[in-house]
Amino acid sequence: MSTVPTITARQLVLIVLGLAILAALPLVLSPSLVNAAIKMLIAALFALAFSLAMGQAGMLSFGHSAYYGLGAFAALHLMKAVEDHVLAWPTPFVPLVGAAAGLVAGIVFGWFATQRTGVYFAMVTLALAELLFTLAPTWNSLFGGESGISTMRMPSWALSFGNDVHVYYLTLGWVVVSAWCLWAFTRTPMGRLAVAMRENEHRVRFLGFDTHLARTLVFAISAMFTGVAGALLAVANEASNYTIFSAQASANVVLQTFIGGAGTFLGPALGAAVMTFFARVTSDLTRSWLLYQGLIFVLVMLFVPDGIGGLIALHARRLRGAAISRFVVPYLLCAAVGLLITAGVVFGVESVYVLLSDAYVAQRRAAGGAVVPYRLVGWTFDPLSPLTWSLAVVPVLLGGALLPLARARTLLAWDKAIHEAER
Amino acid sequence: MSAAPVLELRDLHKSFAETAIIRGVTLEVTRGQRHGLIGPNGAGKSTLFNLISGQFAPTAGDILLNGRSIAGLPPHLVNRRGLARSFQITNLFPRMSVAENLRIAVMGHHGHRFTLFRPVARLNRVRQVVDEHLERLRLQRRRNDMAGDLAYSEQRALEIGMALASEPEILLLDEPTSGMSREESAYVVELIREVTEGKTLLVVEHDMSVVFDLCDYASVLVYGEILASGPPETVRADRRVQEAYLGEEAA
Repeated sequence: MSTVPTITARQLVLIVLGLAILAALPLVLSPSLVNAAIKMLIAALFALAFSLAMGQAGMLSFGHSAYYGLGAFAALHLMKAVEDHVLAWPTPFVPLVGAAAGLVAGIVFGWFATQRTGVYFAMVTLALAELLFTLAPTWNSLFGGESGISTMRMPSWALSFGNDVHVYYLTLGWVVVSAWCLWAFTRTPMGRLAVAMRENEHRVRFLGFDTHLARTLVFAISAMFTGVAGALLAVANEASNYTIFSAQASANVVLQTFIGGAGTFLGPALGAAVMTFFARVTSDLTRSWLLYQGLIFVLVMLFVPDGIGGLIALHARRLRGAAISRFVVPYLLCAAVGLLITAGVVFGVESVYVLLSDAYVAQRRAAGGAVVPYRLVGWTFDPLSPLTWSLAVVPVLLGGALLPLARARTLLAWDKAIHEAER
Repeated sequence: MSAAPVLELRDLHKSFAETAIIRGVTLEVTRGQRHGLIGPNGAGKSTLFNLISGQFAPTAGDILLNGRSIAGLPPHLVNRRGLARSFQITNLFPRMSVAENLRIAVMGHHGHRFTLFRPVARLNRVRQVVDEHLERLRLQRRRNDMAGDLAYSEQRALEIGMALASEPEILLLDEPTSGMSREESAYVVELIREVTEGKTLLVVEHDMSVVFDLCDYASVLVYGEILASGPPETVRADRRVQEAYLGEEAA
């Protein structure tokens, strides 16, 4: 469903509140969390820019890392020039050059890619990004070879940009302004045309629109804001190398957008922020974090295909005026089911991971081939004891047994709430 | 009557690989004429429409719109020259509102093809024209409903309205009543008559009665060639037409 998006007074209050919280965050967060917040903001902008092409115009690009990377390298070259006193350019305006790089690359690459639609479009975008990925490590002057380019943020406007708090506010400012631009785009004739092309490109052509040109423009605008995100990453990290062009980076933004909800405006930003935080936390704890990320994606696609944003929108739309208290018990029950199953699965996966690791194999060899106990989060477990494996199996079974009850209670609460909201 | 032709086909040919589908069609549609194009299945009616509207380029021959060649132009340029078409299979933006469907069609005609720096809600002229169309199509009450949720005949009305929104010199209607019940068909024919008052029309129809209801001139296309042209009564009386077309219907 698609209508011209508008903001209600209620949403406006929420937006202002959200911005106030974002602005206040550095006052309460530890330095490492401020750094995490910067990465979350950048990922959010990347996802918003990506979903302008994907969600609005239905162009599933599998190569958006190209514009992200080009934005980053353009910013790094500019910062280097400033550092070498070749050029005077205020640090807060560095992302402008990322926007320019993204826009130009978006027009050129987009002109080719948008000749095709659907799968073929996706393949061309993927191929163009892969081209950069293979080219970058050997192109020293532009991409710094395999080691990449590093530089330093220069002070400007009496701000040192020496700590993450300054970078946080710079990032926040750019992300908010860019998000506003992307939102405003959806309300312009061009933005509506993008939706119409997603719906039925063939018809648009017979209404007097050059759809190739239109698709190129939409793609270029998406690439432009992706370039801004890339430049912000360069400003934050003061370095980058060719891996920024990897297919993994392109795939990440696709996954994040779908987890967040491709059909809503802010959903992709939410998905990107959540998954970036998830990756940051779990990648420190376990090496199987990519497996968990994959599991989350599969589960979301199977059971919540509209994503986090879609779920929130559903609650906001259907439950206006209904008693929220009705949901406390059912949702707590759902959370308990989720926690039990997650705990069992995580314990099982981590145990298997330890038992298959080189370190454990070495331990066994040292013990003359005997099965030795293994350690996990500070505890010792016996791999041959049924008790150990019951720690994985029992929570999953328990969760599975409670699932029908949680489901029934949730559905009942929804029925009653909808009935109440309609009255 | 010597009205200048709005649309002129000159010895038009179209082949797909070895197969010749259109084999030398010459046809004139004069200003204000309501021209019906009939013919049995497989005669090449749809191909002819696709050639005229820019979907395909002709193999040989020429298509003139107001005396200027449009043969081989892409659909969006054909549309901007003043030719609009509707489709046999309903061809809308199903998950956009009825008003938005019309707005897409209207805004292109009012010079807002790629407007980026103005919200669509502030294009007052466009909004006004959309409202006029909604009223004429009897769709005011459905304006905020999704186009995909409309009844079949309403979708057809919207489809024709969208084609009309670019204020074309000539309107091509591709089987406007296909797949409809008698009542729906009568409703749509009546609506077409109303909204295309004074406009130049070229209608492809399989249903002869629709052509007699709607058109003042008819051409019969059989195996990629025009078999007969003239007022509907004359054409109906033509022996060859009866053999080729009506005979098939009667059988």
